[in-house]
Amino acid sequence: MMALYVALAVGAVLFGVGLYGALSQTNLVMIMMGVELMLGAAMVNLVAFWRFLHPETYAGQMFVLVVMTVMALEMAVGFGVGTARFRAKGSVEMEEARELRG
Amino acid sequence: MSALAVLAALLAGAYLVAVLEGWSATGRLRPAGPAVSAAALLGRESVVPRRPDRVLFEAAPLLLLVSAVLAAAVLPLSPRLVVADLATGALFVNAALAYVMVALLMAGWGPDAAYAMVAGWRFLGQLLGYSMPIVMAIAAIAMRAESLRNTEVVASQAALPNALYQPVGFAVFFLAAMCLAFLPPFDLPTAPGELAGGVEAEYAGARLAVMRLGRMVLVVALSAAVTVFYLGGWLGPALPPWAWSAIKTLAVAAAMLLAGRYVPRLREAQVLAWWWKLGIPLALLNIFWVGVVLLVAE
Amino acid sequence: MSAQALFTGFFGVAAVWFGVVVFRTSSMVRSALALLFSQAAIGAMFLAMQAEFLGVLQVMMMATEMSIMAIFMVMYMMDPGGLGEMEMTHQKRASIAAGALAALAAAGVAALTDWGPAAAAPPAAEQTERLGAEMLGRSMLIFETAGVTILTAMIAATAVAIERRRRR
Repeated sequence: MMALYVALAVGAVLFGVGLYGALSQTNLVMIMMGVELMLGAAMVNLVAFWRFLHPETYAGQMFVLVVMTVMALEMAVGFGVGTARFRAKGSVEMEEARELRG
Repeated sequence: MSALAVLAALLAGAYLVAVLEGWSATGRLRPAGPAVSAAALLGRESVVPRRPDRVLFEAAPLLLLVSAVLAAAVLPLSPRLVVADLATGALFVNAALAYVMVALLMAGWGPDAAYAMVAGWRFLGQLLGYSMPIVMAIAAIAMRAESLRNTEVVASQAALPNALYQPVGFAVFFLAAMCLAFLPPFDLPTAPGELAGGVEAEYAGARLAVMRLGRMVLVVALSAAVTVFYLGGWLGPALPPWAWSAIKTLAVAAAMLLAGRYVPRLREAQVLAWWWKLGIPLALLNIFWVGVVLLVAE
Repeated sequence: MSAQALFTGFFGVAAVWFGVVVFRTSSMVRSALALLFSQAAIGAMFLAMQAEFLGVLQVMMMATEMSIMAIFMVMYMMDPGGLGEMEMTHQKRASIAAGALAALAAAGVAALTDWGPAAAAPPAAEQTERLGAEMLGRSMLIFETAGVTILTAMIAATAVAIERRRRR
C-alpha cells in the first residue's frame, strides 16, 4: 500500500515538472518534452491504480498502451509541423509565431 | 551459479567471435589475436579529445557493453542455463538492444568531433530502417510459441525450427541483426575507410577496448538470439544441449561476419529504401503467413 | 516499507531527477538523453510495480523515440552543444507556480483519498495473455481506432513535412 502512495507522489511531481517545462520553454521541441513528461506521469498513475486497486481489470493496462500510442503520435505530428515551420521561417521558436495574433 | 556459467560462456563466445572476425577480415586464423590486441589497447595511452561532453563520452562504451550483456542474459543456453528467464524475454532482448542506439549516439556526440558525430547520426538512420522489421519478426515467433518466454520459444520448435517454418522472418531477422550489430555491409557507424573509424575514432586505450568488447558481446548476443528464435536453441540429437547452443551460435556469428565481406557498404539512402520498401512489407507478410499456418495446421 | 515501495521510490526519484535535468541543462543532446533516462526510469517503475510487459515496452519504445527527438533537437535548435549558455525560457515564475500548484494538488488528492485495501498482483505470463485477450476482445474497437489513428498521423506528418516540388 505504501508503494501506491509513493507512485502517486512521483506521478504528481513528474506532472509538475512537465507542466513547468511546457509553459516556460520557448522552443517547440522543449515544449514537446514537457508534454512527454506529463504523459509519462499519467502513465505512472495509471499503472499504480491498476496494480494496487484493480489488478484483475486489464482495461487499465489497455489505457496505458493508448497513452503510449498518444505519446508517439504527438511526437510524430509535432515534428512534422516543426519541420514545416522550420522550412518556412528558419526557426521553431514559439515566441516568434505571432502571425495569427489578434 | 548458472548465471556465472552463462556469463563465462558469453565471454568465451565473444573471444571466439573476435578470432572469427579477424579470420574473416585477414584470412589468417590467429587464436591469440584478441588477447594480444586487448593487452595492447589496455597498455596504450588514453587520448581524450580536447572538449568532449564528458558524461556522454565516458558512458557510451559502458552502455554498449551493458546493453549487450543484458540482451544475452535472457537468452537460454539450455533449459536450466539462463541468467533470468523473464516472462517477456523475447521483447526484453529487443528492449536491451535498443540501448545500443543510445550508446552509439552518445559515442557520436560525446567526443565533439566531426566523423564521430556523422557516424552516430548515420546509425540512427539505419535504426529507422531495421527497428520495425526486427520487432515484427519477434512478434511472429511469439505467435508460434504462444508466449514471450525464451525457453518456451525454443520448446515450440521441437517439431520444426522456425528457420523452416518462417523463412521470410528468418531472413528479415538475420539481416536486421546484422544492421543492429553494424557489421559490414551495414557498418556505417564505424566505416573504416570512409569515416576513419566513425564512432570508434576518438576512443583510445582502455575505452576502445571496452567498446570493442561491447561490440563482440553484441554480435554473440544477436547470434544467440537468432539461434534461440529461429534455429531451435538447444534442440538436437546426440550432443548435450549447451553444446548445440554453442555450435549454432558460433555458426550464425561466422555467417554474419562472412556475409558482408562480399558486398560493398550500403549507403544510408539505400539501407532506408530497402528496409522501408521491401523489409517492412516482408515482415508483415511473414506475420500473416505464420497466422495462416497456425490457424490451418492446428 | 516494502521492497516494492523502495524500488518504486528509487526509480521515481531517478525519473524526477532526470526530468529536472531536461530543463536545467543547456546542452540539447543531454536534454534529450535525460528525457530518455527519465522515461526509462518510469519503465523501471512499471517493472517494480510488477507490470512486466508494460515496463519492457516502455523502456524499448522510449529508447527509440528519444533518440529521434535528439536528432530533431540538433536539427532545429540554435545551440545543440549548449556551449553558449543561452536562456530560453519565458514566464518563468508563472510556470514554476503552475507546476508546483499542479504537483501539490495531485499529491494532495492522492494522500487524502481513502483508496481501500491493496490487492495481489497476477503473475507476469498471465498478464501478457490477459492483456492480449482484453485488447482483442472487449477493447477491440479502441485497438482498431488506435491503429487507424496511427495511420492517419503517419500520413499527416509526412504530408506536412514533405517538401513541395516547385513547378517551373
